[in-house]
Amino acid sequence: MTVPYTHVVFLSGMLFLLGMLCLIIRRNLIMMLLGLEVMLNAAAIAFVGASLHIGQLTGQAMTLFILAVAATEVAVGLALAVCIYRRTGTVDPACIEGDQCSL
Amino acid sequence: MEKTEPGRRNWKQPDRVQGSAPGVRPIERKEKQIMSIPVTTIWAAILAAVLPLAAFGMILIGCRRRSSTSATLSIGAMSMSLACAVYLLATHGSAGVPLAFAKKWMVSGNLHITVGFLLDPLSLLMMVIVTAICFLVQMYSLAYMAGDPGFGRYYAFMSLFAWAMISLTLAPNLLQLYVFWELVGLSSYLLIGFWFEKFSASRAGKKAFIMTRVGDVAFLLGLLLLLAHHGNLDILNLNDPETTAHMRPMVITLSSLLIFGGIIGKSAQFPLFTWLPDAMEGPTPVSALLHSATMVAAGVYLFARLFPFLGHSPFAMTVFLFIGTLSMLMASCMAMVSRDIKQVWAYSTISQLGFMIMGLGAGGYFGGVFHLTAHAGFKALLFLCAGVLIHAFHTNDMFEISRQNGRRMRITMTCMVVAGAALAGIWPFSGFYSKEVILGRLAALDNPIWLLAGLAGAFLTAYYTFRLVFIILFPRPEPHVARDAHGGHRESWIMTVPLMVLAAVTLVLGHLERPLAALIAGGDSVSKVNGNPAWLPPLAMGLCAAGVLLAWIEFGRKGARQSGFVEQWPVLTRLFAERWYLDRFYAWLVDRVVDRGASAWCAQNDIRRIDGAAHALADSAVNTGRVLATWHRGLVQPKLMVMLAVFFYLTITLLF
Repeated sequence: MTVPYTHVVFLSGMLFLLGMLCLIIRRNLIMMLLGLEVMLNAAAIAFVGASLHIGQLTGQAMTLFILAVAATEVAVGLALAVCIYRRTGTVDPACIEGDQCSL
Repeated sequence: MEKTEPGRRNWKQPDRVQGSAPGVRPIERKEKQIMSIPVTTIWAAILAAVLPLAAFGMILIGCRRRSSTSATLSIGAMSMSLACAVYLLATHGSAGVPLAFAKKWMVSGNLHITVGFLLDPLSLLMMVIVTAICFLVQMYSLAYMAGDPGFGRYYAFMSLFAWAMISLTLAPNLLQLYVFWELVGLSSYLLIGFWFEKFSASRAGKKAFIMTRVGDVAFLLGLLLLLAHHGNLDILNLNDPETTAHMRPMVITLSSLLIFGGIIGKSAQFPLFTWLPDAMEGPTPVSALLHSATMVAAGVYLFARLFPFLGHSPFAMTVFLFIGTLSMLMASCMAMVSRDIKQVWAYSTISQLGFMIMGLGAGGYFGGVFHLTAHAGFKALLFLCAGVLIHAFHTNDMFEISRQNGRRMRITMTCMVVAGAALAGIWPFSGFYSKEVILGRLAALDNPIWLLAGLAGAFLTAYYTFRLVFIILFPRPEPHVARDAHGGHRESWIMTVPLMVLAAVTLVLGHLERPLAALIAGGDSVSKVNGNPAWLPPLAMGLCAAGVLLAWIEFGRKGARQSGFVEQWPVLTRLFAERWYLDRFYAWLVDRVVDRGASAWCAQNDIRRIDGAAHALADSAVNTGRVLATWHRGLVQPKLMVMLAVFFYLTITLLF
């Protein structure tokens, strides 16, 4: 028995929204990167589900690309976060500019 | 507009001379007038007015700390002024034609503001009164103020007052008169608050200044009204019957009433009279000069000055008569219960000024002016006598003075009795004659109530005057108090000489009624003076005698209880002692109605509505800006949010 395609699309949609919320709302660069990761993985799930549904392997190949891009993105993103933290002493994106952290 | 002859000073440019028909060939007339005013007259008038100002300036700038120099300067200037005034009265008093000369000061469109002098019998007489009493009081002050740390300042202010008062007297137009009217008020303020370290004195000064200002605002409005409707404030021009013929009766009545507001304030009439009793906080010579003889009489003087103009409105004249009567009776009542010697004279000043205004309001020009003259003499004398007593015994309380044997000061007490008799209106002193003239005018009125009020006033005046005199003359026997503790008071001759001069004037002045009448009112009114009904003088004398007798029964005779008939009714006593509750009423009015009512409402309105609206506007702008500011700060997350929102929106609209 296979998981129905609609469930897969629903799951990936929910994950995408959660990741987007995390990206928009969290006040921490690292958590924003995590949100981005979740969004990428939601897309990957959608690709895998679609490839299973259609019966072609293009979707799984796409998923491998996404994993590679995600890995590099996390590496560069974390490095930037560490660099920013060293320069400004904070990882809050609102405070990096140096004003109105309270908002 | 006018052509000045080359080589002549502008000063001598006369504007107009009354008596010749106006409007006919002005240039030719002008030439004649220039010839008719001698140079010496002009210089005498200028000197009389300006010398005290020079003394004021020199004392304040140069020698405020050197007391003898400042006194010399001030008294020297004053004696020169007095000499000039006497000279002017002697040379021009009988001329009959008023001399006016003025120089343009400001021109604005149709409005020509001039300064200058107006010399006619009234102003010359007033000028002599002012300068003479100023001179005597300044002499007297040499002893009274001796040793005071503010001696130089005192003489400076006295000179300032003299300058303002003389210039007020000589003013040819109402605007100049108003300017000096205010300057006189200023010097009054300065002199009342002379001992400013005393809280009550500085408060009394402020009270006098502010209360007279209430009247002065009305005065100024009256002037502006006249200016708007007539375009000219020249006194002779206003008094001209032709001028008033062109004006609407309504305007005349209204401006008369408004000008009378100034008179009410300055001459301390109902309802603004409560500043005068408080003004007694100043040094006693100041009270004698400003607050009885001259400055407060400026209101009456203004009335006499504008008498032909004000007389054109019968309604206004009735109001003046009413106000004068009311002030006279109210002040007499207050004087009956006061224990403070200066307060009694202050109340009697109010009542006598009211009496003058009654006389003028009844149409008795000469009566008012004559009483003004007589009053200036005897009231200054009364205050100076009181000053001697206060100086010697250091108290204002008449019972205390009596207890310390005030009657030992024989010269002072003799002078006081003379002046008191004049105030009460007893033959042969000056007050008798002047009151007689006014009562005669009142008797000629249709309504007998004015005459009755006048007679009642005469009775009360005699009563309260001799109440004070008897209290001091016949001390209450108090065996257990050592009476002669203060036996050694000497009367300094510097103080007594002015007293004796004024007492002599009080004795003589009444017999000069006919020459004065001829001088002031011209020949035509002399007959009116003699037209009194035959029953009037005995009746008035009888009432005065009754007043004196009543005072003697209650205060003078042996074993008298020394409490007046009023004091049997505590309610009345309280009413009079509290000055008819007028001060309370004003305090209530200012506190509750003005301060907590109108002003508080305005403040609330300001805070709640006007400030509130402004703040709400500002706050909403700030808040909107703050919200908008979050969008343009270059932050990542809001941008992302917008981007994703747009993306979703586009997706949804494209799909469905």
